[in-house]
Amino acid sequence: MRPSKYIFISGFLLAGLLVAFTPLPVPRNEPMHHIFHVDSRSFAFTPAEIKVDRGDLVTIELTSSDVVHGLYLDGYELEISTDPGQTNQLTFTADRAGSFRFRCSVTCGDLHPFMIGKLQVGPNLLLWRGAGLAILAALAGVWKFHQ
Amino acid sequence: MTRKPLNSLPGFNFWIKSRWPQLIIRAVLLGGFIIAILAGFLGTPVGNRNISIVAVWIAWWAALILVAVPIFGRGWCAICPIPMPGEWLQNKAVLGPSVNRNSSKVSRRFPKRIRNIWLQNAAFSLLAVFSVVILTRPIVTAWVLLALILVAIGVSLFYERRVFCRYLCPVGGFIGIYSQQAPLELRVADPSICATHKEKSCYRGNEEGYGCPWDVYPGSLTANTNCGLCMECLRTCEYDNILINLRSSGDKLPAVRGGSLDSSYKAFIMLGSAIVYSAVMLGPWSGLKDAAYQIGSLTWWGYAVGLLVVIWAALPGLFYLVTRAAHKLSPSFHNPRQIFNTHASVLVPLSLTAWIAFSLSFVFANGSYLVPVLSDPFGWGWNLFGTSNAIWTPYLSQYVPVLQTIVLTGGLFWAARKSQQIAEARNAPRQSWPIIIFCTFITVSLLWLFVG
Amino acid sequence: MENIARIAAIVLVFGASIVIVAARWVNAGGKVEIHATMPEKGGWLPDNITTQVNEPLNLRLISDDVVHGFAIGQSDLEPVDIHPGKPKDITLTFDQPGSYTFYCTRWCGANHWRMRGTITVEGDTSTTVSDEATSPLYLDLSIDLDAPHDLPELNLERVPSTELGQKLGIDPPARYLSREYYLSHTPNQAWGDLRSESFSENLNDSQVWELVALVWSAATTNQLLNVGQELYNQNCAACHGAQGRGDGVFALDASDSPELDSMGNDAVQPPDFNDPRQMYGASPALLQGKIIRGGMGTGMPSWGQILSEDQSWALTNFLWTFSIQDHKE
Repeated sequence: MRPSKYIFISGFLLAGLLVAFTPLPVPRNEPMHHIFHVDSRSFAFTPAEIKVDRGDLVTIELTSSDVVHGLYLDGYELEISTDPGQTNQLTFTADRAGSFRFRCSVTCGDLHPFMIGKLQVGPNLLLWRGAGLAILAALAGVWKFHQ
Repeated sequence: MTRKPLNSLPGFNFWIKSRWPQLIIRAVLLGGFIIAILAGFLGTPVGNRNISIVAVWIAWWAALILVAVPIFGRGWCAICPIPMPGEWLQNKAVLGPSVNRNSSKVSRRFPKRIRNIWLQNAAFSLLAVFSVVILTRPIVTAWVLLALILVAIGVSLFYERRVFCRYLCPVGGFIGIYSQQAPLELRVADPSICATHKEKSCYRGNEEGYGCPWDVYPGSLTANTNCGLCMECLRTCEYDNILINLRSSGDKLPAVRGGSLDSSYKAFIMLGSAIVYSAVMLGPWSGLKDAAYQIGSLTWWGYAVGLLVVIWAALPGLFYLVTRAAHKLSPSFHNPRQIFNTHASVLVPLSLTAWIAFSLSFVFANGSYLVPVLSDPFGWGWNLFGTSNAIWTPYLSQYVPVLQTIVLTGGLFWAARKSQQIAEARNAPRQSWPIIIFCTFITVSLLWLFVG
Repeated sequence: MENIARIAAIVLVFGASIVIVAARWVNAGGKVEIHATMPEKGGWLPDNITTQVNEPLNLRLISDDVVHGFAIGQSDLEPVDIHPGKPKDITLTFDQPGSYTFYCTRWCGANHWRMRGTITVEGDTSTTVSDEATSPLYLDLSIDLDAPHDLPELNLERVPSTELGQKLGIDPPARYLSREYYLSHTPNQAWGDLRSESFSENLNDSQVWELVALVWSAATTNQLLNVGQELYNQNCAACHGAQGRGDGVFALDASDSPELDSMGNDAVQPPDFNDPRQMYGASPALLQGKIIRGGMGTGMPSWGQILSEDQSWALTNFLWTFSIQDHKE
């Protein structure tokens, strides 16, 4: 094993750590209060994609257009449910950045487990870092240090 | 590559050679399989409260994709109950063998033309277009399971050995190609012993065990693909020449000769279906979900045709163009088909990690359905273990995207390395570049689907 | 050894099947199973049950698709939620013979309200406590529920407000504050009556409307309005809209296909309860009549079998909060 091999490996590991953990300056605007009206029906949320900035106050007004539905927000672990005609509200501070799925939490028919929407809080750094790591991984695969 | 045989572990040979432990495990699983079928027919039509859905598509699938395949390769095949009743009838024995060894056995060979995995590719594709309904409706799952076991019984009465497993089982094909990467292998210790051994008891069987049910000659095994880890050859080998090894890396790739087109297509089917499923089941696009669900409707036909075109034409076509570019960039003496087939093998790790990432999301989000179902498997209001009131809650929802990112980038590294190895083995080191760019593009697309 | 294995295999394959099928029978023992599915797929199955007076009726309620609920009309029984695939056992005992309506309490689609069934309780009718059903007020008053009652000509400067009415410093005479007056008069009639009173000589027309608001508010309490609001949200808002605008989710469905709804009913956009021209020509007796009788050739269900009389009046009182400001404090 040549010493240069270790240098390459450490180099890639270091680059990987940098891509994964370097704190990035995220422009922070004044926190706003967003009110989203989210309608649910089997098997969709409308709108299915919501974007806010980190630190914003978010209110989701959940309604249903057919049967009893719920909304569970990944990452924040919050849940509400709604009957048709009975709006329900969920208010929280979007203090975690990233992209989070929200899913129906009340069994509403066959495709219930696939009833999914997403909330994006600030820029989705995980995706960018992941893409960076992917490119690094591809380069590391091409590199000839394994010989 | 470093190998460490497990046979020297205390008691290993005893427990593997005895027919009982395997029989008991498979029998228990067969009982579970029957329960799953009956639950689908008799239990509640609500999927997440019926053990047929929860045990098969959450528990079994998680165990298969997240544990069994990556670690044990075809380990699941070693204990799979589906071919069991057929084998009993075929062998006229349950425990076997010695008894009735000489009685008439089915000896018809499977037709040569279809001794490949095209039928498995077709079977998987057929299930794929109905997947969201199979995954969620107990009665459909029950029909699928019943059909599998009936077909397995049927072919075993007609053809010798485990033809169902090798050529028909919808999941057998991909378990086979993924097992090539597993850290576990079955190989002979000393090939020279096999060369001089005339009886070939490992292939023909003797009073200790059956001849290889997977129609493989262990003496020449170089890849895991078709070895079902059924352990019969450990029992039948008269020289204890069969080893189960832990190994440091996967099967050597057939870098020069090129793989076969049916296996290449398996890789495309797995990669394509992972992409389509991720979009349909985990994405926020309800139009796609409705199309996949309304079986028989015009939109469903659109979805089905679209899915089949993606996995059978678009992906392979795109990849073919990429391999042509690779050949242009760094020519080697191989024909286009060889280049296509060898390079397609880099999609094996790529699609395996895509499936792991997909399953992580599905399994962690829905794993908690197991808790109430264990107490009330059929949705009949039982409370066997007092957990039937447990409520659904996704597990680790904050960390799953991070895990998915790690798994996908790991898979890309793995694929890129394989690609580079193939290219270098051909003295055409730059041949890998377009392939790796293609893999990176796929990985970033998957990342966007999972964590975007 | 082989024989042991064979026996075990046979026991396993057949045993597993037999145990499950047997368990199915044992499990069902002694209970009447009622399956609930969305009305388009069958609703209650069965929807007709017969039992004996004073005998416990063991029900197992099973939802085969979405969340449903179970309640008995005009009874104090708390509604029971039925979650999909999770059977709910309840025991009912009826001490009066008769016909009881059970109904779904959780919205399960546009036809949710059609999910009704009957429990017939048989028994010696001589034990029946004399409980003569009173005839509905709208019949006593000979109100034609189907006659148009809107007032297209009505011209208001502003929506009447109870609070402004109180500021006028006029207490309407006792006859206006009687329950009989309130129930049997429309706001428009009340305005006519109040306009012709001598104490309103110095008031302009809008101020007389504030007096009407005062009279209407005097006929109810916040507590009753809360009861009415709860009933409204649960049972009415899905069509009539949470704000009474006739824009509930299922009303919008109806306007998509103006002629027939998915089960063959005439589907008509509900009126706007906020519009005085729709409301001020209707008396509480008329509104309550519409609620309990339903029909009208629209998708409006009849609530007479479901709501108790008190509940139907509480709901009626609540309906005025949309067209009278500060009706509820």
